[in-house]
Amino acid sequence: MTTTMTPYRSGQSGRDGFLQLLRAEWTKFRTVRGWIIAAIVVAALTAAAPIWLASTAKANDPETCVRGQCQAEGSNVAIGPAGTAVVDTFYFVHQPIGTNGSITVRVSSFGGSGHRPAVPTGYAPAPQTEPWAKAGIIIKSSTRPGTVYAAAMVTGAHGVRMQYNFTHDIAGTGTAAPQWLRLTRSGDTITGYDSADGKQWTKIGSAVVSGLPPTAQVGLFVASPDFNEATGNGDNRIGGPTAASAVFDHVHLTGGSAGQSWTGSQVGTGTGGLPTNARVKCHGCGPSNGPGPGGFASTNGAFSVHGTGDMAPFEPIVDPLHVSFFGTLFGLIVVIALGALFITSEYRRGLIRTTLASSPRRGRVLAAKTIVIGAVAFVAGLVGAAIAFPVTEQKLADNGWRPPVWPHYSIISGIGLQVVLGTAAIAAGAAVLGLVAGVVFRRSTSAVMAIIGLVVVPVILAVVMPIGVGTWLLRLTPAAALSLQSGVQRYTQVSNVCAPYHACFPLAGWNGFAVLGAWAIVAFAGASYLLRRRDV
Amino acid sequence: MTRAIHAEWTKLRTVPSTAWLLLAVVALTVGVSAMASGIVKCPASCSTDTTKLSLTGILLGQAAAAGLGVLVVSAEYSSGMIRVSLAATPRRTVLLAAKAAVVTAVVLAAGTIAVLGSVYASQLLQPGNGFTAKNHITGLSLLHGPTLRAAAGSVLYLVLIGLFSMGIAAAVREPAAAAALVLGVIYVIPVIADVSLSAIWQHRIERWTPMNAGMAIQATKDLAKLPIAPWPGLGVLGLWSAAALAAGWLVLRLRDA
Repeated sequence: MTTTMTPYRSGQSGRDGFLQLLRAEWTKFRTVRGWIIAAIVVAALTAAAPIWLASTAKANDPETCVRGQCQAEGSNVAIGPAGTAVVDTFYFVHQPIGTNGSITVRVSSFGGSGHRPAVPTGYAPAPQTEPWAKAGIIIKSSTRPGTVYAAAMVTGAHGVRMQYNFTHDIAGTGTAAPQWLRLTRSGDTITGYDSADGKQWTKIGSAVVSGLPPTAQVGLFVASPDFNEATGNGDNRIGGPTAASAVFDHVHLTGGSAGQSWTGSQVGTGTGGLPTNARVKCHGCGPSNGPGPGGFASTNGAFSVHGTGDMAPFEPIVDPLHVSFFGTLFGLIVVIALGALFITSEYRRGLIRTTLASSPRRGRVLAAKTIVIGAVAFVAGLVGAAIAFPVTEQKLADNGWRPPVWPHYSIISGIGLQVVLGTAAIAAGAAVLGLVAGVVFRRSTSAVMAIIGLVVVPVILAVVMPIGVGTWLLRLTPAAALSLQSGVQRYTQVSNVCAPYHACFPLAGWNGFAVLGAWAIVAFAGASYLLRRRDV
Repeated sequence: MTRAIHAEWTKLRTVPSTAWLLLAVVALTVGVSAMASGIVKCPASCSTDTTKLSLTGILLGQAAAAGLGVLVVSAEYSSGMIRVSLAATPRRTVLLAAKAAVVTAVVLAAGTIAVLGSVYASQLLQPGNGFTAKNHITGLSLLHGPTLRAAAGSVLYLVLIGLFSMGIAAAVREPAAAAALVLGVIYVIPVIADVSLSAIWQHRIERWTPMNAGMAIQATKDLAKLPIAPWPGLGVLGLWSAAALAAGWLVLRLRDA
């Protein structure tokens, strides 16, 4: 009697698929009560800590002005066309222009005009010409600060630029004075050109400046923003207002009104961006030390103009939203421990042998664990941040952090989504780092310490170390990802000291997160190699 | 008690992680201190606290001391060794005291080397960065009262951090949770204090949290401006360590191992 033995089958096929593996890992996670509690703690800490930090942060409190909150109060902030805070202070030599016309000039010379902030001996003096000092031609709605404009200019160190409506900045081809510049107006469209010789013209760009009245102001301008330099760690900085002057010739205007002559006006008042009343360690600040308003003189068709100030978005020194979201570090600590425990507990109990016996392809096991712990951390971070964000914004507004200087963001705005999704993504990245460190060290203490050392400790070191070291730490370590929690948009055309102390991260937004991502990927690859090679 | 200490010393001595962690205390402290002294410059007269600067590395070195404190206790729980230890030394107060004694001894030794190394490295590096008599900076010397206090206090600081971690680990048992809790208290709270936008809370945190208060021991300049004076600051850390050890002792007495 011959019978064919049929191999035993459980009746369900495909049980070794990746989905089954994911399900197995998820089951392991959800059946440990302490881990579920830990995930809830992550969400709770992520929500509670920023809310608490925001509720204790009072704006314009004289005691805390040292941190720069009063920066806006002491400076000349106007409301720009987009409703946001801008700096709009410069010297303007102008006359009216109709809907169609153009202005052409040659900037024959341009440079800092000698006024520099007093800097203590030993520190680098303010540059002779501020890198973003500007001299050029502008078509502006009126001489009122904050109105729409488009301008072509020579800058101190950034070559020829065309800028309009404060936030837009286009690089030209020219480098330095002498330089020919031209703006043409056709209705609301303004086009900028530059030329080295006044014959060969290159278009820089064109701008639609909506809201420009039929009769706008056209003319020459000079501005020179504040000098601002960090001198050590923390809030030690030096700076103050600067001035610049330029000589313009070959001024040719079309589309103006007959019989008009050039008028000089100081647009805006004050000395620029640094506070006069705040206790920022700023040597030589204040109106008494300022270069005073600008002025101009004309001889034989050449105009000598000097001015101070800037036309740029107002960039606050501190970012209250970011500061509040530092509270999520508490949640990150728990997330890291949870990630490490997810694998080290298997090593400790010997469960890892069962896991790897039932699924011998170890890389897949690690991938499944990574996905499960990453997803759990993401959801916990998402829930926490989604609760924290609107409440934090409300608390900040209640405490005096209000528009226009401090924009109020909704959770579905670009910044809101970036902060909330970013916080969740950081939590997921930290959990994955904890997990792979658990594979590498196989002991939770070492794994947790290594990853906290990598993700959290650089933040405190960056704050206490000199600014140069600090910014490099925040470029190279996974802590760079915290840049995602920023609520202030930083512009390249504004010189500002980016200090870790003020929650300014050197890599903006998702670039910072890419550092964390790179660490996680490299660590994952290393850990899966070790997991395959080592005995368990 | 002597036998309990001897037993603890044998346990500590025979695991490789002890040597690595003590080495890390020295290497991280000296390395970061030397880096700070090598980077910070004094172009002309400056108000830098050179003693504090020379001891910057304690910031990182304390993580290894904390790790040692956690491991001494939690490694026994994760391996089940704690049951053998308690069978051999049934009086739990004695066991905990013996552990505290060996942690104190080894961290004291490693901390002394780390602090002397940091001061020595800074003595070599700082004059080259402009910290000279010409710029009204007196050279770093352990014969100088406040500098000696800062240096000796930094060693004590490391010991207290080790004991604090040990107490937390005895109270929490789970190694990952203990490590996370200890490092969270040590490192996250100071970040919050440094960037906080509330002067009142900043002042409170600087006075009453382990790292902020304890690090006051390193200050040798502008003592009047400190949120808390050096020795009282270290005293606050001492209170934290005592409270953590008391909590650990209570849990050890009340809970099954």
